[in-house]
Amino acid sequence: MNEMKKTAITLNVNNETYDIVAYPNRTLLEVIRDDLHLTGTKESCGQGVCGSCTVLVDGTPVRSCLTLAVAVQGKEITTIEGISLGEKLHPVQEAFVNHHAIQCGFCSPGMILTSYALLKENPRPTEAAIRRAISGNICRCTGYAKIVEAVKSLAEEEK
Amino acid sequence: MEKFSYIGKDMKRIDTACKATGEAVFAADLVLPRMLVGKILRSPHAHAQIVAIDPSKAEKLPGVKAVVTAKDTCGDKWGVFKYTQDQQFLPTEKVRYVGEEVAAVAAVDEDTALEALSLIDVTYEVLPAVYTIEDALAPGAPQLHDVYPNNINVHVVIDVGDVEKGFTNSYLVREDTFTAPEDSYFQGEPYAVAAQFDHAGNLEIWMPNAGPHMKAKPLSNVLKTPLNKVRVRKITIGGAFGGRSEISPADVICAFLAKKAQRPVKIVYSREENTVCTRQAHSMITKIKTGFDREGRVVARDITCHMDGGAYSSTGPIAVSVPFLCMEQAYRMENVRYNGYRVLTNKPIRGMFRTHGRAFACGIDIQLDMIGEAMGIDPLTMRLRNARQTGDYTPTKSYVASCGLTETIEKTGKMSRWTEKFGKLPPYHGIGIGCNSVQTGFPMGIRGGSQAFIKLNEDGGVTVITGIVDNGQGNDHMIVQIAAEELGLTPDDVQLITADTEVTPSDPGSYSMCETFIGGNAVRLAAQDVKKKLFRIVAAEFGVGEEELSARNRKIFVTNNPQQTMSIAKAVRIALSRNESISGEGSYWPKVDAKREWVKNPYGQLSETFSFGTVICEVKVDPETGQVKVMEVTASQDVGYALNPKVIEGQFEGGVAMGGQGGMLTEYLQWHEGRVLTPTQLGYLVPLAIDMPKINTIIVETIDPKGPYGAKEAGMSVAMSAAQAYCGAISNALGVYFHEYPITPDKILKAIEEKKKRDREG
Amino acid sequence: MRLPPFQYLEPATVEEALSIIGTHKETVKIMAGGTDLLNRMKLRLIEPAFVMNISKLRNMDGIDIGDTETVIGANTRLKEIAGAPLVNKRFRAIAEAAFQVASPTITNMATIGGNILQNTRCMYYDQSGIVLNGLERCHKRGGILCLAVKGSKRCFSVYQGDMAPALRAFDARCVLEKKGSTRTVSITELFTGNGVTPFAIGADELLTKIIIPKPEGICGSAYRKLRLRGSVDYPLASAAAFVSVTDDRKVTTCRVVIGAAGAAPKVIDGASCEADLEGIAQKAYEHAEGVDNLLMPGAYRRKMVSVLAKRAIKAAIDGIKEGM
Repeated sequence: MNEMKKTAITLNVNNETYDIVAYPNRTLLEVIRDDLHLTGTKESCGQGVCGSCTVLVDGTPVRSCLTLAVAVQGKEITTIEGISLGEKLHPVQEAFVNHHAIQCGFCSPGMILTSYALLKENPRPTEAAIRRAISGNICRCTGYAKIVEAVKSLAEEEK
Repeated sequence: MEKFSYIGKDMKRIDTACKATGEAVFAADLVLPRMLVGKILRSPHAHAQIVAIDPSKAEKLPGVKAVVTAKDTCGDKWGVFKYTQDQQFLPTEKVRYVGEEVAAVAAVDEDTALEALSLIDVTYEVLPAVYTIEDALAPGAPQLHDVYPNNINVHVVIDVGDVEKGFTNSYLVREDTFTAPEDSYFQGEPYAVAAQFDHAGNLEIWMPNAGPHMKAKPLSNVLKTPLNKVRVRKITIGGAFGGRSEISPADVICAFLAKKAQRPVKIVYSREENTVCTRQAHSMITKIKTGFDREGRVVARDITCHMDGGAYSSTGPIAVSVPFLCMEQAYRMENVRYNGYRVLTNKPIRGMFRTHGRAFACGIDIQLDMIGEAMGIDPLTMRLRNARQTGDYTPTKSYVASCGLTETIEKTGKMSRWTEKFGKLPPYHGIGIGCNSVQTGFPMGIRGGSQAFIKLNEDGGVTVITGIVDNGQGNDHMIVQIAAEELGLTPDDVQLITADTEVTPSDPGSYSMCETFIGGNAVRLAAQDVKKKLFRIVAAEFGVGEEELSARNRKIFVTNNPQQTMSIAKAVRIALSRNESISGEGSYWPKVDAKREWVKNPYGQLSETFSFGTVICEVKVDPETGQVKVMEVTASQDVGYALNPKVIEGQFEGGVAMGGQGGMLTEYLQWHEGRVLTPTQLGYLVPLAIDMPKINTIIVETIDPKGPYGAKEAGMSVAMSAAQAYCGAISNALGVYFHEYPITPDKILKAIEEKKKRDREG
Repeated sequence: MRLPPFQYLEPATVEEALSIIGTHKETVKIMAGGTDLLNRMKLRLIEPAFVMNISKLRNMDGIDIGDTETVIGANTRLKEIAGAPLVNKRFRAIAEAAFQVASPTITNMATIGGNILQNTRCMYYDQSGIVLNGLERCHKRGGILCLAVKGSKRCFSVYQGDMAPALRAFDARCVLEKKGSTRTVSITELFTGNGVTPFAIGADELLTKIIIPKPEGICGSAYRKLRLRGSVDYPLASAAAFVSVTDDRKVTTCRVVIGAAGAAPKVIDGASCEADLEGIAQKAYEHAEGVDNLLMPGAYRRKMVSVLAKRAIKAAIDGIKEGM
């Protein structure tokens, strides 16, 4: 078995600094969930396919299950817990709730963060652009119809 | 219809905000003090004698706090039914599928647990195995269980009327065979279970489930602990789709580990374990022979279905029956015979799945299309002519109290512009229709009813206590909607305690679509019980009759004189000030035939009501690649009454995705003998947002006489009708009727080539 | 899923990186985006002693479009390539390939270098222990049999990278650096054609740049990929086409590179200058290898390679017409 030493890692997550000590083979997903106890980010495949583990690194959606925690020091990491505005839901979260875009909720954090990042990059996406942006987020419950409606409603609101 | 505040409204669900923020706690999110990581050692062989298990090296590894093997259990065999008790949770003698549980460890962290697994020495003696229905049935085949000769563990026989006479009297008879390999649930949430004991031997356990009371009893049996000490707790559940009903070996194993270690243990399944080691859907070979009269009405039908059940029984009798029952509900068929066989193979265990048998359902429907073509009757008319009607009895003698199937056919046909399109689309462009039905529960003996309690606070707020389970479909919200409506409160006033076997009374669970009908009715009755008691108080205060009162917006008032009002809080305090406790109770037991049994007596009232629906699908096929572009889908269901239309639309849309888009185009497990080669989302292709078509939804309401507010269920059979519609559409697009599913591009290309050849030669 | 243990190295400069792999050679696995490597490690297909993160190396990313050649740093994220207007205009097939890799979020992480150097794949190889424990080892795992093709003495794993066929269509070259020397090879030379060890790269070499020579004449290109869904999936068949014409519309080059059709992308050479579509399609079919070791049967995939070759050429020609 290869030798490993725990190493000090400093992570900036949701605008807070966390100092942890971890093995280098811990993924960002594991550290977020197990060390930081932010369990909103989920593991549904572990392979980067399903999108449930999506977090934002410097505003860009990435697969935290395929990211080493040690490799993202110094970056701004945003998890689902980081986008609410205090007690209020962020408009993306609000839209998902209002449009029934959430059923079991397991895919929702990843789906919401991906949508959030899309709207920041493209405030008025077409339906095709929305479907493409979330094409890497698997939902087994909704058939995606109301998720697309929720994101569309925000695109129109910008007007 | 009365005017409602919440019922029938598109209100946002009460449980989704915490899912949007990531606060909702699923089983894998649980953290308990001093919790250990549990991992399971699994069989690498499909069929093997367990010669010896030596866990000693694992036990000695620092950080390992418990190791369990079959020696730690009594070796009792469990089964959903008394006559299907064939599964030990840790086998004592042999393993029967690749992935079966053999031993387990609990350790301080995941790496230690994984290392410990590798230190458990298991000696196997590999036995010959069977992987297909044919091989399992062949004479001399290795037998999986001594108690099931020829590897058949369930044989359902249904025989109604005179099938042979019916065929003789038929104008046209067709016989076809339809096949499909396994589908798989792929719930978003991989299975996970956490368990802890206290020093009094009370167990607390959390896992995704479709009925905690269904989990508690087998746990109680295997742990030899009374039910009051087995507390299956409420947890947010990431989807079930039929796959999380029964006890899982992981549940038992986790409990044993927690007991041995005297610390909480959590086992989290990988995606692969969720696919291989929980349940899968049956693969099927369905032979259907149907006789029709000159108008295209079914005169007789003879169905033989062989299903590959995997290594153990699971819900075998139910899984063998339901595909047939859904079809006998949907379509009239006076003379019908059904032989359903569940065959055991050395493969993972199969259970019930939302798309109950695509080979079965699509087979029935595509035969209607084929006969229709032969007789010059279009598929939609074939459905209308054979559709179930209100007041009918199904062949197995269930009375159908409300049925809007015809309405769903007509409305779906209109919205999809069927008559403009069918037969008039260009080559490789097709339209298809599918109809199906689902029951709302079935005879479940002592577990068939639901009971709810309501506790009141002195400020008028309430807590509703019910065993209803929410797998993500919105059942928790339904409880709040019903309770708030009946009590005249706002949704904010209603708290829930649900699906906790220590506190909540028995409920059948959220499968077979019974939560709305059975659970919802119990909640409504409990709320009406409270309302009656409060009205009695207010009526006396106001000097009016109880029937003159209404409740709304936290107030009770005289209906015709709304100024005369008293807050609910005040009415509650009046009761309390008279030293009268005030609470509510309601229970609902559907009137089903208690003597009906899946195998021994498959006749009698199956469930109190049924829902029905139609899906129409339009596709374009790329004749060079065989790929299918789905243009539009219209889904309709008679749900009785829509308690929350948006919630119901969500069920329709999800059903179209799972049964149609996935079930007909891309979803199937691929195998190397007994090994699943596609256990992850990279190999088993569930639909993505980019591929889904526009989905129109039509809710049909027949106002069931018994359902709460007339509601029946939320459209589970849309998954099946969608599969049928996709099949019909692709078949129509190519002028070739497909018998093998899913209809992947290679099959389409082959069909196109073969048709070209036939056209050239013909 | 847990990763196996390893020592983590994060060099700041290319020199440092070259020194590390010069010293530790095969015991080091290089991580750029991590989307391929970490997956393989979770499946325990590889368990390297060292994981070297090259994503922080300076001067290894970026697209530099010059007069005679375009240089793309190996660490350039696929999303950047897919969205770069000049890449879309002048090297459309390359932009299309980058756009179609996996899913959008993966393209945020994955790099062109990593995509080129991904290992070959097979349904019987890319699995974890839950599937493979108890089975004999196949060729790719150091054994002596093939689980996909009974009795085969060689490996049939498939190269499913999207970038390489598109780059090869443009005659791209790869810069491989090691301590003390550099060499530049064509995409073709990068591959061994052997499923067990697909790449002819030393364990002490680092891919740093991809150089695309400026194409002659007026050209069009396209990359077509077959998958059952519109995103996420690897190609089951693919084809990149490059067509160039003179001012008076005479075809001077018609190059098709097929992918997911063997252990390396293949150039359909001898392509007629008159762009004989049926002839090219037939050649593509003949050169394509397809056995039943991916999601769709091999026979179907071979046919699709042929269909995509035609479609890619048509699209390339359409691209020329649009521009004229």
